[in-house]
Amino acid sequence: MTTENKEKYNFKPILGLAIVSLLICGLFFPLIVTGIAQVFFPYQANGEIVQFNGKPIGSNLIAQTFTMPIFFHPRNDSASGVDPDITLQDAYSQIPAISNATGIPVDSLTSIVNQNQEGTWWIFGSPYVNVLKINIGLIKQYSTVYSEFSIS
Amino acid sequence: MASDNEKTLAPTKSNESAPGGLRTAFSRKVLIDSVVRLSPKSLLKNPVMLIVEITFFIVAAMAIVPQAFAGVASPSLQIFYVEVAAILLLTVWFSTLSDALAEQQAKSTAGSLRKLETEVSSKKIVTEKWEKKIVIVKSTELRKEDLILIETGDFVPLDADVLEGIAMIDESLVTGESAPVRKAPGDSLIGGSRVVSDTLTAKVTTNPGETFIDQMIKMVESSKRPKTPNEVAITIVLIGLTAIFTIIIVALLGMSIILNLGADLSVLIALYVCLLPTTIGALLPAIGLSGMSRLYKHKIIAKSGKAIETAGDADVVLLDKTGTITVGNRQAIEFVPFASCTEEDVGEAAFLSSWHDDTPEGRSILKLAYEKGFVPKELNSLALSETYPFSASTRTSGVKITGMGLRLPKGGKSGRDRLRIRRKSSTISDQSMAAGIESEIDIVKGAPESIKTIVDSVPSNYDLIVEGISAKGETPIAISRNGEAIGIIRLKDVLKEGIREKIQALKTMGIRPVMITGDQPLTAKSIAAEVGIDEYVAQAKPEDKYSIAKKEQAESRIVAMIGDGTNDAPALSAADVGLAMNSGTEAAKEAANMVDLESNPAKIIDVVMLGKQLLMTRGAVTAFSIANDIAKYFAIMPVLFGAAIPQLQALNVLQLGLKSAVLSALIFNAIIIPLLIPLAMRGIAFKPTSTMTLFLKNTLIYGLGGVIVPFIGIKLIDLLLVGVFHI
Amino acid sequence: MIDAIQAFAVIFILGVTIFVARLLAPYITRVYSRVPSRLDKLLNPVEKFIYKICGIDPNHSMGWKQYFLAGLLLNVAQMVIAFLILVFQGKLPLNPMGFPGLNWDLALNTVISFATNTNLQHYNGEATLSILSQMTAIQFLQWTSAATGICMGIAFVRGFIVDSKNMGNFHVDFVRTITRILLPLCLIASLVFVVMGVPQTLSASTTLTTLQGTTQTILTGPVASLDSIMQLGTNGGGFYGANAAYPFMNPSPYSNIFMISLMLLLPTALIFVFGELLGKKREARPLLWGAYIIFGIALALAFIPNIPLVAQGIETRFGGFMSNFYTVTTTAATTGSVNTALSAMHPLTITSGFLGMFIQSIPGGKGIGLMYMVMYIIITVFIVGLMSGRTPEYLGIKITGRDVKLVMVAFLIHPIIILIPTIIAYASGAAAAIGVGGTSVGYTQILYEFTTSAANNGSDFLGASGNTPFFNIATAIVMFIGRYASIAILLALAGSMIGRKSGGTTGLKTESPVFTIVLVASIIILVVLAFFPFLALGPISSFFRGLMNGF
Repeated sequence: MTTENKEKYNFKPILGLAIVSLLICGLFFPLIVTGIAQVFFPYQANGEIVQFNGKPIGSNLIAQTFTMPIFFHPRNDSASGVDPDITLQDAYSQIPAISNATGIPVDSLTSIVNQNQEGTWWIFGSPYVNVLKINIGLIKQYSTVYSEFSIS
Repeated sequence: MASDNEKTLAPTKSNESAPGGLRTAFSRKVLIDSVVRLSPKSLLKNPVMLIVEITFFIVAAMAIVPQAFAGVASPSLQIFYVEVAAILLLTVWFSTLSDALAEQQAKSTAGSLRKLETEVSSKKIVTEKWEKKIVIVKSTELRKEDLILIETGDFVPLDADVLEGIAMIDESLVTGESAPVRKAPGDSLIGGSRVVSDTLTAKVTTNPGETFIDQMIKMVESSKRPKTPNEVAITIVLIGLTAIFTIIIVALLGMSIILNLGADLSVLIALYVCLLPTTIGALLPAIGLSGMSRLYKHKIIAKSGKAIETAGDADVVLLDKTGTITVGNRQAIEFVPFASCTEEDVGEAAFLSSWHDDTPEGRSILKLAYEKGFVPKELNSLALSETYPFSASTRTSGVKITGMGLRLPKGGKSGRDRLRIRRKSSTISDQSMAAGIESEIDIVKGAPESIKTIVDSVPSNYDLIVEGISAKGETPIAISRNGEAIGIIRLKDVLKEGIREKIQALKTMGIRPVMITGDQPLTAKSIAAEVGIDEYVAQAKPEDKYSIAKKEQAESRIVAMIGDGTNDAPALSAADVGLAMNSGTEAAKEAANMVDLESNPAKIIDVVMLGKQLLMTRGAVTAFSIANDIAKYFAIMPVLFGAAIPQLQALNVLQLGLKSAVLSALIFNAIIIPLLIPLAMRGIAFKPTSTMTLFLKNTLIYGLGGVIVPFIGIKLIDLLLVGVFHI
Repeated sequence: MIDAIQAFAVIFILGVTIFVARLLAPYITRVYSRVPSRLDKLLNPVEKFIYKICGIDPNHSMGWKQYFLAGLLLNVAQMVIAFLILVFQGKLPLNPMGFPGLNWDLALNTVISFATNTNLQHYNGEATLSILSQMTAIQFLQWTSAATGICMGIAFVRGFIVDSKNMGNFHVDFVRTITRILLPLCLIASLVFVVMGVPQTLSASTTLTTLQGTTQTILTGPVASLDSIMQLGTNGGGFYGANAAYPFMNPSPYSNIFMISLMLLLPTALIFVFGELLGKKREARPLLWGAYIIFGIALALAFIPNIPLVAQGIETRFGGFMSNFYTVTTTAATTGSVNTALSAMHPLTITSGFLGMFIQSIPGGKGIGLMYMVMYIIITVFIVGLMSGRTPEYLGIKITGRDVKLVMVAFLIHPIIILIPTIIAYASGAAAAIGVGGTSVGYTQILYEFTTSAANNGSDFLGASGNTPFFNIATAIVMFIGRYASIAILLALAGSMIGRKSGGTTGLKTESPVFTIVLVASIIILVVLAFFPFLALGPISSFFRGLMNGF
């Protein structure tokens, strides 16, 4: 079925193949994936943007700055610089300060942290919490407390 | 004429066993030679050692003018540089010593080979004016096709074929076999053998300088001996490793200078030389040469080093049944009488009919009859008998005894036998005189079917006995006396001593032995089963060997075989390893790539084993050499950058001092060469087991051993240096 | 040290990966044997159309030289296209952030880096590249370099098949790799990544006001389509400078495990394909177990020190243990994506990483790792095989001096292209110019830079700070030689196997466990011999200093 060919190599297909591969790999594929993702998984495909009171206030996956003492704070070092998560220990250690600033009892803060544990499926990974999620959780649960700080 | 030549040819037993022991080889000549070989020019063919010598010059220069090496040498270390330089030179010398030793061994092999060929004068037969004339010429003046006359006491000047005459030849100088051999027309004579009785006319088959022995001498002596494929490949690995280590050392030197790590050039050089594959580099030539010498110890001449290696690779060994597996001939083992007779009757008749039968079978019948004491009373009248030689058409032979007498035959038998025969025959003669025996006896022996046709009546169990014997793979010979079938002689193929073990060894190594025989399938099967061979080809003609070899090769197998006849020549040249018998025809020897001087076909198995040993020795020393490097890193790396990176002391598992680390590693690296010379020359010991077992065992000994031994060795040398020399 | 549960997690993840690779192998084998399949109805017309417009004769077969040349020239053509896109991206569409074109040296470094499957990045993608460049330069080259690598590996295997007459047709192999292997696998993987939270959009950013009232810009783009080929193709080049540490590329512990698995999938599957194409499935054993035993040793080395749960440079959602696992895997498979800051890694983890990149076949890049492993097998068979009392043979083929020459040269290339540039980087002052000193830490970074380039891995310490003409050009040269010279030599080796006698059943059994163990020992010894002093100056020295002074 194949013909043994000792002729000089035919260079002609190179340019065509380079362009065809550009079209398939560089355009067709990413666009197809974009199309499917935007239709079926728009939330994830657009960066897991969190809406709060009808306004986008951040992405679950990208850390945002929290400097006020009423919030849990993200790490300020990390490999990506936008690590959205902190360890449970880190979260617990921040609780007394937040409790002082807001008057929310330590127990309530601890339970909010515990409710938001992630990364604990079977044997893979160790628990952590998403800073944005627990802060939003705090605002929702203690909206009156937080409205005093003009956050709503 | 012989007296002069006898002097030159007289064998001095110790020299004959050629490649002499290591101790005797350590002569002054070897020492001088090893020093001469230190010149860089003669090291050109051993690049690894040349590099070591260059490093010696560098370190020597550092010892003399350390100031010239600012930054990489320190004047305070002058004595240390002298020590390092001395060990480097010693390393090169050990290598040249190994070369000189191997060369010496080869020379002694060549020398003993050449003894076989010393010029002798010989009697050339020339035909002038229709008249034959004998001219005395030097053997070197003889040419192929010349006719020569060889008389008692003469040496056979060159390989030749017997044309006329029968003579006893002493081949002990060539083959080491002490018993003289009978040579008749058609047989081959080996140059260097000697006629002990009678006269022969023979035709020279080679030109002087073209014999196998010449080829071997050339190969052994030539310094430009072509490398075998495996030697070439190993050399490439060595060059590759040398290149890698050169890059490493240059890079380390560069980094040391640029990053201010303060490495001393002499330490860096020590690391370099330790890493270089000096061990295998030094021993590789010796391993190959001594492999050839070992083969010659077995009285086998190889035409190339490659042939020996290929033998190690054999997948299939074609074995001729006759001569290789069995002693070559069937031997009588029993006289089976028919109802009317006794065993003695049959034995005596067999004795008489075989007296003139010079075949091995005939002699074995006589031997059996002697042993059983069946010596006939008609013995003395044999001289007057009339014999019927074996005829292929009737497939019988026989004897007709017409007169009486008491003369006993002369010759050959041992004193004890002769005494027994005499005693026996005297009683016979008494009986015969008293009984008045028949004056004429007609005895015929031969193939049972043939005898059946010439006798008056056949006993009812005749066929049964014959078939029973045949079914066992043995040969029945029927015997008749005066037209009456009296019994059967049972002949059996007898296995060569030790052949079963050798075949088993082949099989354990994964090599397939295939037996080739002209016998009937039944006979073939029975012998094959007895010796433990699973594959055999029965009713094979000599030409069939060629197609069998080709068929195996088509399946990509390496075929080893033996041959002696002209018929075998095509197969011998087709086979990857062809071992010709020296007694065989010139065509066979020409076609083969090895010749066995002793003409023992079973030696093909030894050839395979020697090939394997050679390959294994080479692999073992290579693996050992490379594995050694790990320990040397651990010895030298901690001290190389000791000043700049003190934490590398954590790698100093051997707890060596700064100078002692370098010296111990270098000394170990040097001393391992002479320590392994005996191994290189003897070859590594091995028991025939499966390829994988051999692999595993050798890998553990030489690979893993190669990792561990230097750690121990370097530490021991360190203890010695520190304890005794306070370095 | 790690605990039993973590050890089990490692074995479980690797076990599942090997199992899936095993399931995938027969399909891949059929693709390259051109066996009819159910996908033919859909794909045959597409492929025929491509052959037609490109002028490809699918029945033409090539020797190793033609095959290699076809691959090299196609790659060069693709580099030129990508180069032009990068340099002129400022004038091209899909550039919502309005990034200017790249400097020629950075563009050259980038296209060579991606075309050679290295993915060394001397730039931060999110701050440098337009959406168009991300798709048509970066992702495009990630696809084609992966396809080229697989094709070269397949051609290499064809050389060893008994009675094979040629290496096949590069153009056809290339097209079928894209249509039948990478497209379906990447589509599935991309969608899994999207579900896990990886963005896939043509919009480059979303600007919003945070809870505290500050303004935040969320940088997005077609990330999921890159994630899949980056891992499956053992590419490793990220959409963002922080690579797989960036939450949008690797949003959770599960995407992290998925990534580990994906990068091992094709290299492992191709090991099985090797056995299947040869018709000797057992011969895949030394490649598989040799690779995974050494990978295991590298992992064990990285797991020796106490691994913190989370420390500086380690993302919370992965933790120290999974970050170490990822780092060793990314070098073992020569992928080069990183989910941490390498500078945060323990010296022993870095040593493990070097080990993976020096060896390049545990299991190495898809196709290429396989070629290197066969190279190691041939060296091993030659050096220790003689000790079995036979001329060394592999797959029944006797190893000749020429074979040994080729494998030695292939092995030699790496020390040369790693060590010499490292010295030049210091000697020329290029290292000092970017603030890297001559300490063991600094030296480690420079050595790593050239090792990662030579091994076509791509993880590095320098990142955007490596964007200087010296490092751009030096690493480009090293990447190019490390990729194409090695492939050419190893293809020549395979090409020389064509038509050779293959028989011999009594030789060394390379499929036996004994041989695998010897192979492992021999690879480690070879690599230690060639690179130990340089590791000793770098990470090993850092390690011992740490032991003495505390880290």
